[in-house]
Amino acid sequence: MAEEKVENLVEVRDVITRFGTKVVHDGVSFDIRRGEVFAVVGGSGSGKSTIMRHMVMLSQPTAGSIKAFDQEVTGLGEIESLSLRKRIGVMFQYGALFSDKSILENVGLPLREHTSLDSDFIDELAVIKLRLSNLDASVAPLMPSQLSGGMKKRAALARAIALDPELLVLDEPGSGLDPISARALDDLILQLKELLGLTIVMITHDMNSLLNVADRAVFLGRNIALACDTPEKLANSEFEEVAEFFAPARRQ
Amino acid sequence: MSSITEPIVRQEGSQLVLGGMWRADVLHKLRQPLGDYRPDPSTDLHIDAAAIESLDSAGAWYISKALTRLQSSGITVRLEGLRDSHSSLIELVSSNALEAKDIPRERAFGFLEDVGRDALTTLNGYLAFLAFIGRLTMSSLRIALTPAQLRWSSVIKHIEEGGFDALPIIGLLTFLLGVVIAYQGGIALETYGASIYTADFVGLAMVRELSPLITAIIVAGRTGSAYTAQIATMKVTEEIDALRTMGISPLEELALPKFFALLVSLPLLTVFGDIMGLIGGMVMANSLLDVSFTIFVDRVTQTVTPTDVIVGIGKAPVFALMIAAVGCYQGFEVKAGAEQVGRQTTVSVVQAIFLVLVTDAIFSVIFSKLGI
Repeated sequence: MAEEKVENLVEVRDVITRFGTKVVHDGVSFDIRRGEVFAVVGGSGSGKSTIMRHMVMLSQPTAGSIKAFDQEVTGLGEIESLSLRKRIGVMFQYGALFSDKSILENVGLPLREHTSLDSDFIDELAVIKLRLSNLDASVAPLMPSQLSGGMKKRAALARAIALDPELLVLDEPGSGLDPISARALDDLILQLKELLGLTIVMITHDMNSLLNVADRAVFLGRNIALACDTPEKLANSEFEEVAEFFAPARRQ
Repeated sequence: MSSITEPIVRQEGSQLVLGGMWRADVLHKLRQPLGDYRPDPSTDLHIDAAAIESLDSAGAWYISKALTRLQSSGITVRLEGLRDSHSSLIELVSSNALEAKDIPRERAFGFLEDVGRDALTTLNGYLAFLAFIGRLTMSSLRIALTPAQLRWSSVIKHIEEGGFDALPIIGLLTFLLGVVIAYQGGIALETYGASIYTADFVGLAMVRELSPLITAIIVAGRTGSAYTAQIATMKVTEEIDALRTMGISPLEELALPKFFALLVSLPLLTVFGDIMGLIGGMVMANSLLDVSFTIFVDRVTQTVTPTDVIVGIGKAPVFALMIAAVGCYQGFEVKAGAEQVGRQTTVSVVQAIFLVLVTDAIFSVIFSKLGI
């Protein structure tokens, strides 16, 4: 089968997460393949953000295994996780731009921390990332509070790709944006994927953006990964809630 | 995967061979900057990049910059052998790049301009503070005419938080202050055999100056900062705007109750501070200087007149107005951003204590002129 040749960038296996007595994940398993745009969807409280936090090593699952780049990420210490963290870029839902730094400094920060490049070179690279994220260089000296919501998201995206990560994780990229800006951001994400050869994981509620950009999606429900496939196939899923969620895909 | 983890540049005749990894984290390992190679200018420079194993945007921009530099020094460069993905990355990066000197930056101001700006900002700050006091006064007058409109439950809550809850700390600190003063003054007086005047000394110092001052300073740090932080946080989370849209004056809802609460609690705290300070002095005088409690109280009642007490306590409402006004004003001054809340709180405490001390000095001058 052709599928066997596909390289899995992330492998989530039997992840169990409990907060106190509340079970969030009870054996979640799915794979993310190199070079695809992978969407994580599900209702509110289905543990989408939690699984993302596990993937980017912000929290630990109660049990189970998560592998990224063929390396187990659960149970890693700060030092061992550093080399992995440099290969993963994260864009947070509200941007999480550092409010006391200018946009240029925000985007340049990972480069300043993790490379020995000289300052001008880093600034130039930061501007390249800003422009790749469809921002004009004139925003460089501004503070995050001076940007609109859509610009903040794009600046956050520029920061997330500062170190040329292989895996880009986006938490609700379209949320809080008007439909037109959200579409523009979708296009931008696709473009960056093509240009920089990224693998993208996005957590989303937005069906439109999912259909626009996602190659495959996993639906979290009933505490497990209920279904994982292309949006079109998920639309005809045997599970009613999955089929209902992906119903717009049938119309295409 | 190869084990080469650095960028490699090798000169082979008139040709440069690039290889290895050209990534952000290893670029600094290049022994000689690529743009510095000075081959024979009479022939074209041929760069063979086929051996580059991995290239990220930092590496792409580096190579692109180096090529520009070589070309600008009159050398014709031919870059060959790049993988498709690498050459498109270089093209992408260079088409989006700006030289460092062209990047828009915050304009740095000259010294004079800085001074001017700061002076204007400070002046505007004072004017805005005056305007705030004016609005606060107007609101207070309006409320004074219709006292039922004051948020009494809120006033009571603030009296409890800012007044009653501060009793232990103020009691302890004024007690200790009394002890310290009695000790310092007592030692000096004892050499003249005048230990008994320790009571006069402690009584006057505590009641007229120290108790009102230390109480106001503690309240400024404790309550004034809390006022700023609360109002500033509400401003950041748009709660102030929410009040406005409902037709509720934020000033009357938030500032006035705090104002009245402090106006009531600071004089009361000062009285408490007076008593605790005297007790501290009394304990110290008794144990160190053998001045008995009865003699101490007797001396204090003789020397400390009602005027002294009123002068001391009379300053408290003025301090209260300042602390509350600065605390609320600085809270409302926050524009956006959570980090401003902390900064504004610091400013509020510093300004309040500054104003309290300056006012106290002015009071001293006035009282001495009046001979009170």
